[in-house]
Amino acid sequence: MNSKHRVVSFIACVALLACAGAALGAPQAPAAALAATAPAAAPAAVPVAAAPSPSDTTAPPTEFKTLDQEVQGLKKDVIDLNKDLFVLQEELLFPANTQVALYVSMDVGAFFALDSVTIKIDNKVVTNYLYTAREADALLKGGVQQVYLGNLKVGKHELVAFFTGKGPIERDYKRGATINFEKGVGAKYLELKITDHVAKHQPEFAIKDWE
Amino acid sequence: MRRLLLAGSLIFSVASIAPSIAAAPTLVGKDAPDFVLKSLDGSNLRMSEFRGQVVLVNFWARWAGDSRQEMPALDRINITYQRAGLVVLGVSVDEDLQRAREFAGAMKVSYPIMFDTGSNIGRDYMLQKMPMTILVDRAGVVRYSNVGFKRGDERAYLDHIRELLRE
Repeated sequence: MNSKHRVVSFIACVALLACAGAALGAPQAPAAALAATAPAAAPAAVPVAAAPSPSDTTAPPTEFKTLDQEVQGLKKDVIDLNKDLFVLQEELLFPANTQVALYVSMDVGAFFALDSVTIKIDNKVVTNYLYTAREADALLKGGVQQVYLGNLKVGKHELVAFFTGKGPIERDYKRGATINFEKGVGAKYLELKITDHVAKHQPEFAIKDWE
Repeated sequence: MRRLLLAGSLIFSVASIAPSIAAAPTLVGKDAPDFVLKSLDGSNLRMSEFRGQVVLVNFWARWAGDSRQEMPALDRINITYQRAGLVVLGVSVDEDLQRAREFAGAMKVSYPIMFDTGSNIGRDYMLQKMPMTILVDRAGVVRYSNVGFKRGDERAYLDHIRELLRE
């Protein structure tokens, strides 16, 4: 092999390597580029839709549209399945005959800024919840928070809720509310209500038993 | 020759053990566990409410000498990058709340300091040694974790913070 042959073979190798590098460097070529090269390679096999008119160059091809619709459909199915699983899980973990759910609501809130709630059922702390400013705001806007979901045996029970926060004139405030309730066969729903007593200029704490 | 072989095998065994020591369990790649704690100014802060921002959480203790060095460095980072979307949170794991408050007040840092008084945060965040710093991306995933603190670590923090802020 003379020097001329060597040079030619070297250039050929470099060209091959460059082609291979370009192919590896762009494994996911843009769809438009692929579509543009396809008609040249096999013009008979390409449908009319593959050659869009110049006016709708930004519109995605129909096959991508259908793929996107399929993905959206799958996402919706996953969300629906997740919802069903959540309901089933709740039914399994908290069956209706033992379920007890506690909710917190707040009305007006001019005399009380909620900081935390501690709840005891039958003298045992079941939850202790700290409220951020955003969460307290959400309650003031009419939100109702499920603060506890658990199981209780049928029979008589005592619930004590301690509310801490800032009372009138920015004073530290801690109040309790108690309710004795009877757990029947069905689910039990209790609402811890914080309201303003305008005449007394004080907040009021009550527990409502939703039959 | 025998000595050479012995030295080689020794180096190999040390090199093979080293990764297993470094590979202590971390939360990197996992969702940052949520927590809510009371801060020094009396407000309650919840981790998940910072979703959408890059969050640096620094777990510290008064008795850990490195915490004293790390907090001023984090304060400088907070002052520089908070406008770019960085949130720095300090979490004290001291059992003595009163002394932790005094220490936090004396450090005069610009970022919020919270106090963990016996909740499950230590277990959830797999705390090994104090101080410990983690970086959480905008999606709430832990992307970086550093145990302890030595001079120069803040440069690694900055590299990761810049990268996460660009995402």
